[in-house]
Amino acid sequence: MSTKGTSDARGAENGARKGSADAKRAESPHGTNALPEHVLDEIRELPARYPQHRSAVMPALDLAQEELGFLSPEAMSEVAAALDLDPGYVEGVATFYTLFHLQPIGRHRFYVCTNLSCSLRGSSDIVEHVKSAIGVREAGEVSKDGLFSYEEVECLGACEYAPMMRLDHEYHYDLTPVTITSLVAERRAPLSAAAKASRSRTRVAAPPDKAPPKKRAPRTKKIG
Amino acid sequence: MAELRGSFGVARNHLLTRWFGTEDLHRLEVYESKAGGYAALRKALLDMKPADLVNEVKTSGLRGRGGAGFATGVKWSFINRDAPGPKYVVVNADESEPGTSKDRYIMENSPHMLLEGIMIAAYAVGANQAWVYIRGEYDGPHRMLVEAIAEARAKGYLGPKPMGVNYPLDIQLYRGHGAYICGEETALLESLEGKRAQPRSRPPFPAVKGAWARPTLLNNVETLSTVPWIINNGGAAYVKFGTEKSPGTRLMSVSGNVRKPGVYEVELGQTFRHVIMELAGGPPEGRRMKVFWPGGSSAPVLPESMLDTHTDMEALAAARSMGGSGGVIVMDDSHCVVKAASRLLRFYAHESCGKCTPCRVGGDWAVRTYDRILANEGSQVELGILERVADGLQNGRCLCGLGDSAGWVIDSTFRHFREEYEDHALRHTCKVGSDA
Repeated sequence: MSTKGTSDARGAENGARKGSADAKRAESPHGTNALPEHVLDEIRELPARYPQHRSAVMPALDLAQEELGFLSPEAMSEVAAALDLDPGYVEGVATFYTLFHLQPIGRHRFYVCTNLSCSLRGSSDIVEHVKSAIGVREAGEVSKDGLFSYEEVECLGACEYAPMMRLDHEYHYDLTPVTITSLVAERRAPLSAAAKASRSRTRVAAPPDKAPPKKRAPRTKKIG
Repeated sequence: MAELRGSFGVARNHLLTRWFGTEDLHRLEVYESKAGGYAALRKALLDMKPADLVNEVKTSGLRGRGGAGFATGVKWSFINRDAPGPKYVVVNADESEPGTSKDRYIMENSPHMLLEGIMIAAYAVGANQAWVYIRGEYDGPHRMLVEAIAEARAKGYLGPKPMGVNYPLDIQLYRGHGAYICGEETALLESLEGKRAQPRSRPPFPAVKGAWARPTLLNNVETLSTVPWIINNGGAAYVKFGTEKSPGTRLMSVSGNVRKPGVYEVELGQTFRHVIMELAGGPPEGRRMKVFWPGGSSAPVLPESMLDTHTDMEALAAARSMGGSGGVIVMDDSHCVVKAASRLLRFYAHESCGKCTPCRVGGDWAVRTYDRILANEGSQVELGILERVADGLQNGRCLCGLGDSAGWVIDSTFRHFREEYEDHALRHTCKVGSDA
């Protein structure tokens, strides 16, 4: 846990450098990067689902990340305590997997696939468009309004729709500069229904989109 | 209906995808009423003994569709059904091999087909509990499976007495969190146990000591989704498709520089010319195909001149490649092989779990060497390094296949495109000039 002290400092520094968003984020929503009691209660109930309690560590980190937007050192320690695991162990798990974020990130994350199938169909252009559309220079940097960040990721398993990406728990296919621009615009308009829906923390089950989301219809197909 | 790209509907060889495209196929009632779903489970539980099921799958000659192509029935028979204590079925739905999207295609189209296969497998090997380890990025397929499992529970197919038979069955989902290595079966088990996903040394094999140290059957999504067809129609009917040693059909996701990328169901033994040129429409107008990866990025590349290679595993082995995950990546002549290989090495270096030294160190060495070559700082020295690193990564020097795969990328692109490497490293030019 040697990064514990420094990462707070780094968070503050980032906040100063990249604008108010990080700073605000690093303090919100509970002021201390700590997990609220109801989340900890949920975490304490997880181990019963598995033959061994250790298996609960990733679902627990999921809940923590969903709550805070990223995994702060405090949150990881609290997860460890709630599951009766060593904090270093929990951090070791969190650092291994790319879907756990140890730094604050944008509320909407563009995970743009840049592996071979997508790069053969122009994903590097898509990355450039994402960068300019959200106004950041590099992967992981949070946009000034705190809304966006992007990452280049490995194959997401939807190669027949390349170039593609994952954004807000949905796949977006056959990407073009136009789709990127409109996806960003929809999320910037704070009162639009689409943006509201995509920000809500608890998502209702909806089936995946099998088609290029031309008008970014929030998946509204028939499932129970 | 959203656009499906790939096989669906009636065709002689559409064993898996016959009903894909049917409206609401993901609903249990549609799967049952239209696609004859859960008839195989009924037959398995009511009319067959577990040993019969294992034998039927053995007869079918079905081989694992995840990558290694191990005989599924034989794998099933490794589990001692009578051993006391819990046993598990663990489903590998961590599809992350670059260029592979077939398991997603199955889960999105027909989640109940997978569930039915899982239930039959569980009954066959004496497990009451199955876990589907699904990659974290697959939000859509995850939602589909959540719904499908809820429907199966409501119907009683999952629960204490499926089909009225006193054999409790349950299926749980476990989400991955972004690690390619979890596609490797023992790394997947580590991850399922809440650990960093680093492969275990074998033996003991998962059949003896798998998830939570219990006997565990690990199968891929497509493998298990094929089981209902085999139980319905018999193993003998399955071997009428494909070749003698690679029977049946498999889903091949064709991507990259083709006109009709998609997930196609292909009878094993058909040629890649059929898959790439006919099914996927060949390269775009005015372009010529250059190279293809026949089974995901880990399968050694084959040049265009080898398009007539057959898709069965033996033919691919003879061509010094493999069927792998069925992900066919096609690259045309506007792209540079060295840059493509460099991109893939970056992937393997990034995804190395760090446990075995050749893979942990070799991947980074290769990436740095490619960087020098592509920055026109290469020489014979860099080519020599790549060859040595490729050798060091291969031949079982690592616990799992990730290192080998990285080595094969270097090795096979070298073998078939030596001249492009020399252009870059020795002459500091690229005849293609584009990004990979």
